[in-house]
Amino acid sequence: MRRSLLLPLLAALTLAAAIASLLFGPVDLSVGRLLAAASGHGDPIATTILFELRLPRTALALAVGAILGLAGAALQGYLRNPLAEPSVLGTSNAAALGGVAALYFGFAQIHPAVLPLLAIGGALFSLALLFALAGRSESPLTLILAGLAVGTLAVAGTSLALNLSPNPFAAMEIMTWLLGSLENRSFEHVRIALPCVVIGAAMLLWNSRALDALTLGEDAAQALGVDIRRLRLRLLVGTAIGVGGAVAVAGAIGFVGLIVPHLIRPLTDRSPSATLLPSAIGGAALLVLADIGVRIVPTTNELKLGVVTAFLGVPIFLVHLMREKRIW
Amino acid sequence: MRRTRLALGALLAATGAGALWAAAPASAPEAPAAPDRIVSINLCTDQLVLALADRRQIAGLTRNAIDPEMSGAAITARGLPLLGNSAEQILAIDPDLVVGMPASRSAALAALPRQTYPLLDVDNATTPDQIYVSIRQTAKAVGHIGRGEALVARMQAELADLPKPGRGRVAAYYQRRGYMTGTGTLVDELIGRAGLVNLARKLGKPPLSQLSLEEMVAAQPDFLIVESATDTVTDQGSEMLHHPALKRIPRIRVPEAWTVCGSPEYARAARAIVAQIAAIDRGGQ
Repeated sequence: MRRSLLLPLLAALTLAAAIASLLFGPVDLSVGRLLAAASGHGDPIATTILFELRLPRTALALAVGAILGLAGAALQGYLRNPLAEPSVLGTSNAAALGGVAALYFGFAQIHPAVLPLLAIGGALFSLALLFALAGRSESPLTLILAGLAVGTLAVAGTSLALNLSPNPFAAMEIMTWLLGSLENRSFEHVRIALPCVVIGAAMLLWNSRALDALTLGEDAAQALGVDIRRLRLRLLVGTAIGVGGAVAVAGAIGFVGLIVPHLIRPLTDRSPSATLLPSAIGGAALLVLADIGVRIVPTTNELKLGVVTAFLGVPIFLVHLMREKRIW
Repeated sequence: MRRTRLALGALLAATGAGALWAAAPASAPEAPAAPDRIVSINLCTDQLVLALADRRQIAGLTRNAIDPEMSGAAITARGLPLLGNSAEQILAIDPDLVVGMPASRSAALAALPRQTYPLLDVDNATTPDQIYVSIRQTAKAVGHIGRGEALVARMQAELADLPKPGRGRVAAYYQRRGYMTGTGTLVDELIGRAGLVNLARKLGKPPLSQLSLEEMVAAQPDFLIVESATDTVTDQGSEMLHHPALKRIPRIRVPEAWTVCGSPEYARAARAIVAQIAAIDRGGQ
């Protein structure tokens, strides 16, 4: 009963958040003016603000939040590690390194697809490295430590790349890449991110049955007909494509993939398959709400999204770390 | 400098601001032999020295002097010695004139308290009249008073017949990351000279403020004045200026090198703005 209500409730929350996101901005526009703009009879200013500034921003928050939540749920299911998620494992930062390389050394000017491709490449490389190092190790801590190493290396690489870049302003943009932001995004960014997010999400959702079987152990899953190697490949590539595309336009926003599955899981039967889709929708809602938050907080420079998600995510991370302590 | 505090300011700080430096003669002596080891320690004074002194007189310029995006005299600066921010290099040159903005506050010189080089402090100019003052000051110090007068006369002639096609329309000088240049700046002066009204003045903003894309769309200025270098997207700061929401606002492009300093390039910037307004009026409405 409760479970059957979960998806509609999450969807309603996400829709409400998305509508709120269209209503808020630095310029006060009345609901009437926005409605007129939405119906195509508005003044040019309200129409431009609604359709070219707030709508792409909201759409990106939905897409990026969804893939981060979904990737977190899928990685936690596959690795059977409650702390696994793209930013903790260093995937987001590695994707940011790829994006930075594309943008500041001029590769992105060759073709618009180069930016997401390099971000995906960065994410893929970091995940492959991580799985090779500590993929199925005994202790969940090993994986987190390996993720820390990969992530730190990626952050150092990003900082180095920005310092080496010929652009004198590049070093100032490091915050956006490391903490994430959706400020000043347009539909061009939606066109970059959305295909990656859709492909990545499809590859991750495809795994739900196999992930359920895996909870019984690898041998049992194989006996049930799961091809573990293919599962791992889909998971790796799906996460890299989805997270890479998201990071290419929004920077590395942390902890969404950690927070959301942990909020969702108690409301489900705790099987990986049951958390995947709700985590995607919940991630979308969370990021849209966080993005409303950064616009409402009165600061001279807009707050970075990663600041909000870190404040929400770190407590959850610590709670789980404390719980793990008993096992160490 | 008058603007781009955040970004360019940091770069210029490498050549300009610093700790206090004890009193030293603030201008060159009255009728001395012309100095022949001139060191400029500021991007803006680089351009004045290049325009007024002989090449053989120049012993050192700042590293940014040859950057075409920042210095209006980048081409003439090529081949001349460039200095970092190190006191050692100045010590080695043993200059007989140090020009800065101001020279007496240079961190590099503060590291050499026992050296009393003749200093020339040039003020940051935000109007043409102030530019003329700094040209005459520099010309006198480098021993070429006539050259200074000729340069002032040329600028005055270039500005004299300049029409005001702006007709009170509103323009915003919009920089990377949404920074907008306000009143009391050379850019504000340029906007007024073309007959335009600075949006920052209309909105009561300080010399440098940040305006979001939404606010810019809501303000609907008649023109956006942008730095030519932002024509290509090289980072997120310049990408913002290419947002589709700004597409309907006609754009005037001016190289940053012409406006970052109160330099002889002021007249070029003024003419470029006037010509582009006229071109937009002919082409558009």
